[in-house]
Amino acid sequence: MKENSLWKDSFKRLAQDKTAMISLVIVIMYTLVALLSAMGLIASDWAREVGASNLPPSAEHWFGTDIFGRSVLAKVLRGTQVAMSVGVATAVISIPIGVFLGAIAGYFGGWIDDAVTWLYTTFSSIPNIMLLISITMILGKGLFAVYIALGATSWVTLSRLIRGEVMKHKEREYVQAAGAIGGGHMRKLFRHILPNVTHIVIINTSLQFQIAIKSEVILSYLGIGVQGEPSWGTMIDDAKLEISRGVWWQLAGATLAMFLIVLAFNLLGDALRDSLDPKLKGK
Amino acid sequence: MNAPLLSVKNLTVDFHTSEGVTRAVNNISFDIPAGKTIGIVGESGSGKSVTSLAVMGLLQKPAAKIPSGEILFKGQDILKYSDSQMRDIRGNDISMIFQEPMTSLNPVFKVGDQIAETLRVHKNLSKKEAWEKAVHLMDLVGIPNPTGRAHTYPHEMSGGQKQRVMIAMAISCEPKLLIADEPTTALDVTIQKQVLDLLFRLQQEYHMSMMFITHDLGVIGDIADDVVVMYRSNVVEKNNAQTIFTGAKHPYTKGLLACRPKLGANPKRLLTVSDFMNESGEEIKIDTAKVVVYDKEVVPEKSSDILLEVKNLVTQFPIKGGFFNRTVDQFKAVNDVSFTLKKGQTLGLVGESGCGKTTLGRTILRLIEPAGGQIIYNGKDITGVYGEELRLLRRKMQIIFQDPYSSLNPRMTIAEILTEPLVIHKVGSSKQERLDMAKQLAEKVGLKVAQLNRYPHEFSGGQRQRISIARALMLRPEFVVCDESVSALDVSIQAQVLNLLLDLQDEFGLTYVFISHDLSVVNFIADEVGVMNAGRIIEMDKASRIYKNPKEEYTRMLLSAIPKGETKSAT
Repeated sequence: MKENSLWKDSFKRLAQDKTAMISLVIVIMYTLVALLSAMGLIASDWAREVGASNLPPSAEHWFGTDIFGRSVLAKVLRGTQVAMSVGVATAVISIPIGVFLGAIAGYFGGWIDDAVTWLYTTFSSIPNIMLLISITMILGKGLFAVYIALGATSWVTLSRLIRGEVMKHKEREYVQAAGAIGGGHMRKLFRHILPNVTHIVIINTSLQFQIAIKSEVILSYLGIGVQGEPSWGTMIDDAKLEISRGVWWQLAGATLAMFLIVLAFNLLGDALRDSLDPKLKGK
Repeated sequence: MNAPLLSVKNLTVDFHTSEGVTRAVNNISFDIPAGKTIGIVGESGSGKSVTSLAVMGLLQKPAAKIPSGEILFKGQDILKYSDSQMRDIRGNDISMIFQEPMTSLNPVFKVGDQIAETLRVHKNLSKKEAWEKAVHLMDLVGIPNPTGRAHTYPHEMSGGQKQRVMIAMAISCEPKLLIADEPTTALDVTIQKQVLDLLFRLQQEYHMSMMFITHDLGVIGDIADDVVVMYRSNVVEKNNAQTIFTGAKHPYTKGLLACRPKLGANPKRLLTVSDFMNESGEEIKIDTAKVVVYDKEVVPEKSSDILLEVKNLVTQFPIKGGFFNRTVDQFKAVNDVSFTLKKGQTLGLVGESGCGKTTLGRTILRLIEPAGGQIIYNGKDITGVYGEELRLLRRKMQIIFQDPYSSLNPRMTIAEILTEPLVIHKVGSSKQERLDMAKQLAEKVGLKVAQLNRYPHEFSGGQRQRISIARALMLRPEFVVCDESVSALDVSIQAQVLNLLLDLQDEFGLTYVFISHDLSVVNFIADEVGVMNAGRIIEMDKASRIYKNPKEEYTRMLLSAIPKGETKSAT
């Protein structure tokens, strides 16, 4: 007999959603580009001069060249690696913090809840970009500081969502049933409640991912992000001086690359919410 | 005879989903004459609610399609009506009451405004006129102090009162036809009785026709003129109520009538639909061995060992208030309760919602901490037991919950759910051994072994309750608290689960505390019955004596609220 878990059902529903599938393909392509670039297989020679300065897009140089005669396409691809690594690093840092704090706050309540709530309301009361700037100031400029800064700020939403969902689930009879058969707190929380709130982590990550990418672009644009490496943010920063001279391709390349991935993640996030949320599933 | 007010002719409804076409209603026909009440009876999924939604024009499009049939309302086929024509009819000529009063009212508007809104939409009344009419309607449906209560919000009212508000809304435009879809299923028996009386009175006063949908044939007897029985999308029997109750022809109807426990009789087992009819719907002969009746008073007591003794038990919850959310008072949910329970016996606890019966059950199991008193289990006071000792105690004491939908973890397979207690208590040496034990018990409770690697959402309510029962019995407990364990089930399924609980009690020598708001169920399963009100056990006696000779006024009220399963002309 065929087993049919809620996960399987959800992914079956997701597979029928064309927009979601196209978005997923875009995300996978970006991931591939980022991986290939990280392994040095593509765009490793982005700093090499390939032609004259500021050449417009042509068959030879699809996105044209920048002021130093470097290929804009190579810079965009290299920038993809930076952007995706920021998204992944943010998720890797923020998910454990967000899930852990949200789960213990929601499950235990009392002073633990008070403490966690105090922590995240404090974090969320500081304007995000200010906090990011101050963290990068302390840690020094560079990609590593961006990872830490974004990871340290983006657990707040996830933690709040997890807390609420855990509070709801801990009152459910299946959790009480786990207590009645002698299960302890750890079993109730990790074996029973967490698998039922995992979909929130997935949905939230896909939405946080693009926020992280955008934040990196803004930080780099402001000059406190990535140093000495191409990033969509620094490319847009460069472009603001070039655009008056009619050199639009650097801006276009970086914006297009960012636009596509942000759109894909947003659509994917919506589709994930539709297919994973058990509330939409009939009894 | 006049033409009927509503006439459903050869109606078929299909649902088109990605997995194919499901036929929800198959070629059914029935009439509702003016001023009469028709009961539509059937179990969940039999198509009765779909029929009512089709009449209201509320079927979900485009999934639902009506390939054939017509619904004539005052001679007009309303299936051909446009959306705006249907809107004029809905709430005006035909109105509907839903099952869940908790979610059918909008929580952010005052109830008076919600009733008035219907009036202003359909009757063009001014704001003031509509409000006055709303207050009048609230008075009519029996809400005390309607002038003041009209200003309250839904969450400030009890479930019964909300259902009264829903009824007030439904009758506000004096509809010709009132559709009531399981209007009393979510309510306590006492409130159910009041709501049924109210509906009957209003139906008489307004000369409405009523279409009353329920899974419980007993409920309908008091108010229906005619009964339509639906089974697996088809109408299997329709007749006047008298004939249905005294001489039902279809085996399914006979099964439905037999499966509801009756107060007077004490059968050893309840007959279920499957005793009357086989899988393919053919009638079978009833096995007479199954209709043994016995008198509980003369049955010898199974043993004299006392398993559980509760002494002056108190459970309280803090009432928070004031500026700093301090505890200002204690609410005593269980107040000075004492009883003893012998091995192999069943104690029934009855009472309305909020009487403390659920809290009492969970306090005995130490799922809620008691504030005072003693719980003596097997000669040992367990109120002060913690940690490892408490965990070991859990092997002996188990609970079966009410809601088969929320009591199983949706992300675990049935095999995982059943073996989890064994894993926690390190019973069985290997995964395979535990699985074998789960298989064994699964078969005992009537599940197929092949279904064990499935997930809870693939099972029906009755099957899920069997899974819950199996989980509770995995550790071979001695003592089980059944907390409203059959209340969420259709009557036909309820009978099967009650029989199962009795069989398991015999086989494993279980001792039960059976909690329910339904006295007839408790009377069937319990040896002794405690009636609870406001945290106290106010009356306790042998089940048969409580029924024959209730001492307290409150017990008498509970007893009189139970649907008799007779027709209104017979009473």
